[in-house]
Amino acid sequence: MSTVPSRKRPLTLQVNGRSYGPVDVPEDMMLVDVLHEYLGLTGTRFGCGQGECRACTVIVDDANGPREVRSCITGAHYFEGRRIRTVEGHARRDESGKIVELSNVQQAFLDHFSFQCGYCTPGFVNATTVLIEKLAKAPIAQADVESTVLEALNPHLCRCTGYVRYYQAAKDLVMATPGLVTDGPAKKERTP
Amino acid sequence: MTRVGMKRILAWALVILVVIVLANLIFGWLGRRGPVQHVNATAEQFEHGRYLTDVADCAACHTNPGGAPFAGGYPLATPFGTIHGTNITPDPDHGIGRYTSDEFFHALTRGEARDGHQLYPAMPYASYRTMTRADSDAIYAYLMNLPAVAQPNAKNDVHFPANIRTALHGWNMLFAAREIPAASAGTSAQWTRGRYLVDILGHCGECHTPRGALGQMKLDRTMSGNNDLGRYAAPDITPAGLAARGWDAKMLREYLSTGQSKRAVASDEMLTVVGLSTSRLSDEDLTAMTTYLLGDEAPAPKAIALDTRIGEGPAQRSYFNLCAGCHGNDGQGVPNVAVSLRENSSVRDADPHNLIVAILDGLPVHDFPGIARMQDMPGFADDLDDAQVAALSTWLRQRFGGQSEAVSEEAVRDLRGSRTKH
Repeated sequence: MSTVPSRKRPLTLQVNGRSYGPVDVPEDMMLVDVLHEYLGLTGTRFGCGQGECRACTVIVDDANGPREVRSCITGAHYFEGRRIRTVEGHARRDESGKIVELSNVQQAFLDHFSFQCGYCTPGFVNATTVLIEKLAKAPIAQADVESTVLEALNPHLCRCTGYVRYYQAAKDLVMATPGLVTDGPAKKERTP
Repeated sequence: MTRVGMKRILAWALVILVVIVLANLIFGWLGRRGPVQHVNATAEQFEHGRYLTDVADCAACHTNPGGAPFAGGYPLATPFGTIHGTNITPDPDHGIGRYTSDEFFHALTRGEARDGHQLYPAMPYASYRTMTRADSDAIYAYLMNLPAVAQPNAKNDVHFPANIRTALHGWNMLFAAREIPAASAGTSAQWTRGRYLVDILGHCGECHTPRGALGQMKLDRTMSGNNDLGRYAAPDITPAGLAARGWDAKMLREYLSTGQSKRAVASDEMLTVVGLSTSRLSDEDLTAMTTYLLGDEAPAPKAIALDTRIGEGPAQRSYFNLCAGCHGNDGQGVPNVAVSLRENSSVRDADPHNLIVAILDGLPVHDFPGIARMQDMPGFADDLDDAQVAALSTWLRQRFGGQSEAVSEEAVRDLRGSRTKH
């Protein structure tokens, strides 16, 4: 048993563009528990609880971001002042909060039947989203796409072993999205 | 001096030079040829040789991970440049196929190859110097009965002037001909065997004994630790050093045979040593090793009181934010996931070097002998600045390590600065 008494401290979180709190949160509580228990955001999965499977991965947008962070081994108070994105934040919603369009990554996984039980999917969605955003800033050669996708998604475990379809979906998306590959399709003019 | 006299001297110098070059070519050529050796070994002799080859940990440098066994190629980074382990399979051209057992023994214990060139002391001949002829012959018989691999030796990248191999004659006279003083006190048969295993075959001092400016082992301070070889320091493993960090014979034995113990798990290069060498030792030899390391009269492991009063503050918040998820909110760790930090050897170490490096760099996945495994630890160089790492290290050492002295920001800055060097 712990000899350290669990104190609470007020915490304010920025999740999916929305501010939550301040709310008193035990200072040794991990982010995934706060997302589930305090914020009602249950899309982030608690898998192994030790940072190995990456089902709990969320996206942090800070000076080093966007980057993946494992929410089951990172204390909630670490995220004070940092912006978080969870799997709930990717799809486009209408004013009532109803989902009207999935993100490109989510759609690609659906199109490729990438997941079966879906437990690892939030982690894969976040990892692939980070990959796409990084490639938009630093495009790579077509020949490197496969190894880059493998490197980005390799740490994520899928007990249904849907790896091939996840990787295929991510690769197809990278190839089809303008501006991610230096010798790929040209970047389209963005309409505001 | 007259012009004629000068000319005469120059002419003689030229003649001498030509003679030296020719002699080198001829002896080099003679040295490289010679009959291919065939060695007969019974199954028992082969097994015995394999065991001693494990104890001497030849594979650590002579087998490149993923490459053919003992075919060389492993790059060993030293302060003098990168040196590659050589091919010691029985291949006649790239390996040791033409070595006789005499020549093999000479190379092992005197650091001179068959063709007469001096080996770099990265080959631990300064330690192997008093290896028994019987053990050398057994290792030779084992290696000579392995499959020959025709893999050329990798080119070394040793800087000038350390790359002048001839100069090593002088180095050897000064530093390689010395008796290694015992690191502990003892007289028992186990202690004597242990001394041979640790100092000679296991060549533990090559990393754990500090080195001087010329790369020589400082034999007046054997096993007292070395911070300068790799990214991680080889800690003090004298009896006093081990006892100060709370080691006893049982824990040491567990550590050497499995890579895990109550005090620490083997990491970095020591994990390789455990995997390739100490985990394969017989029970008797393990006992001998720990007996020698601690001495016949093993000092009592130092007891420390965990300071549970140390609490609130930014360092503790860093701990909860970044460490507690795996190491537990009271440092207790999780079996097969993350080590316990309570009384952990690196946390207790008077020198915070390894603790700081672990926090900055993180650690890769640990695959222990057998099926045991520990997951990787992320590095926090991007999350914590020098002051925060220093504060966290100080807090960990006070809380779990019985070390009251604060870790300085400068120590963290230095180790952050040298991150890419290793």
